[in-house]
Amino acid sequence: MRTFPLHAVLSWGALLSLGVYAARLGFLPQAWVVVGLGLYALLVLWGVRFGWRHALLALGLMAYWFPPAAFLVPLFFALIFGRGLSEKEQGALYGWALVWPALALLLIWHVFPTFYAFYLSLFERVNFLRPAAFSGLENYRILLQDPLFWRALGNTFWYVVFTVPVGLLLATVVAILLNTQVAFLGLYRTLYFLPYITALTAAAAVWRWIYHPEFGFLNWLLRTPGLDWLNTPKGVFALLLEPLGVQVQGFWAGPSLAFVAIMVMSVWHFLGYQVVILLAGLQAIPKEYYEAAELDGASFWQKHRLITWPLLSPTTFFLFTLGLIGAFQVFTQVYVLTPTGGVLQDTLTLAFYLYNKGFRDSDFSYASAIAMVTFLLILGLTLIQRRILERRVNYEI
Amino acid sequence: MRFRPTSLLVHLVLLGGGLIMAFPFYWMLATSLKSPQEALQAKPIWVPERMKPGNWLKAARLGDSPLGGGLAPGRSVELVFPGEKGRPPKAFIPRTPGAFFDPRADGTRVEVVYREGAWRVRLTNTTGEAFRFLPLVVLWPKEAPLNPPLPPDALRSQGEDWRLEWVNAVPGALGYLFHNYLEAWYAAPWGRYFFNSFFTALTQVAVGLFLAALAAFALARIPFPGKDAVFVLILATMMVPGEVLLIPNYVLLARLGWLDTYYALIVPWLASVFGIFLLRQFYLSLPQDLFDAARIDGAGYLTQLFRIALPLSLPGLVSYGIFTFLGAYNALLWPLIVTQSPEMRTVQLGLQAFVSEAGSDYGALMAASTLVILPVILGYFFAQRQFIQGIARSGLK
Repeated sequence: MRTFPLHAVLSWGALLSLGVYAARLGFLPQAWVVVGLGLYALLVLWGVRFGWRHALLALGLMAYWFPPAAFLVPLFFALIFGRGLSEKEQGALYGWALVWPALALLLIWHVFPTFYAFYLSLFERVNFLRPAAFSGLENYRILLQDPLFWRALGNTFWYVVFTVPVGLLLATVVAILLNTQVAFLGLYRTLYFLPYITALTAAAAVWRWIYHPEFGFLNWLLRTPGLDWLNTPKGVFALLLEPLGVQVQGFWAGPSLAFVAIMVMSVWHFLGYQVVILLAGLQAIPKEYYEAAELDGASFWQKHRLITWPLLSPTTFFLFTLGLIGAFQVFTQVYVLTPTGGVLQDTLTLAFYLYNKGFRDSDFSYASAIAMVTFLLILGLTLIQRRILERRVNYEI
Repeated sequence: MRFRPTSLLVHLVLLGGGLIMAFPFYWMLATSLKSPQEALQAKPIWVPERMKPGNWLKAARLGDSPLGGGLAPGRSVELVFPGEKGRPPKAFIPRTPGAFFDPRADGTRVEVVYREGAWRVRLTNTTGEAFRFLPLVVLWPKEAPLNPPLPPDALRSQGEDWRLEWVNAVPGALGYLFHNYLEAWYAAPWGRYFFNSFFTALTQVAVGLFLAALAAFALARIPFPGKDAVFVLILATMMVPGEVLLIPNYVLLARLGWLDTYYALIVPWLASVFGIFLLRQFYLSLPQDLFDAARIDGAGYLTQLFRIALPLSLPGLVSYGIFTFLGAYNALLWPLIVTQSPEMRTVQLGLQAFVSEAGSDYGALMAASTLVILPVILGYFFAQRQFIQGIARSGLK
């Protein structure tokens, strides 16, 4: 005997309620909702044969009059009618009922917006209150000729290239050192970890004070006699950076080092997170491997190259991917340290440019185009990274 | 135990790195206890006057109560400047735009007289309540000594004169030590900011946890049609960076009329892919026998979830809670976009506004930063193990 797919009808009903809501907000044509309600009426008629008529009608009405209630309706159904069903039906009903609330929120706030961002980027300067003209890929064409976009992209690129590997390298060193020592582990871990849980706004405020051109601690340090790195024509920084075309004018005093300062601060902030994760990875490596290697007379470097590195590679890979994605979206540090984008916009990053375009100039379409380009970049990099690096990752312990 | 030089070296390296990591925190704390003239020194001051216990004792003698200081109604304090009858000291209430102003300032009676070889400034509290914090300023020529003696950093140089702020005249030990904190606290509606931040973060944790637990349980333990499709969809949303969602979600909130409400701060982030994955991982690791046994005893899926799976996955719940709380409490970009009015601003935005408005009052600025990071740091010290393991668990495969 065929049974009634209650779970499917429930989910479609709940989806319909989202459609109703979307139409009321102007995201969907009303006609679609009418068609959806019609289809739903057919479902209800089908349900009549199995005695679900009243329940389904109730859901349909609820979906129409008060859409948010539909989030939990499948769950109520499962609670009320779940007992008498077969095991398979029960699974289907409960499975959908439990997944539905989170799934609906994801659909509304993650899946739909992803497509909507692309849709918005195809219009001429949409400020969501006004109708706008469809312009195809025009925004992307403008974007590719926008010098500020290229500067933001360049800055973000340098940020990724610098902070991700440097952070990971430092974190690996610290984690390996911490793993060899037992004494004071808690103290060291706390010292390295505290920056990570510190709010970036507060941390950036402190670093801004440390970088202060006149009264900042760092500039005082760099001005110390014997260590005069900035003020002599050929100080250490000048010697290092001037061949690269960077004008050295003291931290924060001039544009050239502002972005370096942001990168240093970011490495400081995220180090603790990486250390904690790497340390957990290191502690999962069985001690016997090292003992066996020591019996075979392996040196310190051999042990790390042949045991630690391969066995730690999944953790490193995870942190690398995460760091890459996070670094591409750097905003807070830049915004707090240089609220106007620095001297001549020299600290502009992609996320900051998006914020400026979208919420300062209210040009939502152009900002959406920036968002889509960032998305594609991150997606591409992650895929490439997966292809190249994941082959070298060893998932077996 | 055998002494090993390498071990000492490792400790030195770790400690050096740790001190560098912790230095910004010390600098923040030290600056938050500095008087303005101490903060703005080209040569950094490592231990400000307000950190010295000797000065606490001096300050404790000023005012009615040793800790709180202050003047009871009707009481008065007299500042004596012995010497010739030259230029009289000035006492006034500053009204610079934006500076802190207390209406009670009008309740302070100020008399300046020359009597018995000394200028006397008498400040009387004529209001009905005791207070100690007023923006009253006393200026007197530098040649005149002052009686009673004040802690050295209570005075500020202003041209030919010494400048004394009323708060420094009767501070009590705590008022003296935490001067910058009080100033920062009264400069902005921090109470409201803290409430908003905590309310937002805790709601996100509680509701998000509930929804993620439901979905994760269904995905891990219930066979239902369409499960794979749902899982793939959730996986796919992980690939979308948060940046892409900013504009569409803003538009959606605007159409819902939810901008500048708690909904805007909370609802978009309730469904957390990270939470679903983390908890699913935990539920998958539980033995199937547990659930079979429960099933035989007549437990439905919800009973299995709430009586067996949830209690056993406590570590996962803690990880999720810590991550979500930190994310919500430390967020800057999203609240910046979706809130307008001061009543809806969060702590991070308050701090950001404070950073750009406070100008060169670095003491108050650092005090505000300390206040902002304090709850999380305290939480860390109370629940170190959970924090560390919670973070470490996010890297698990």
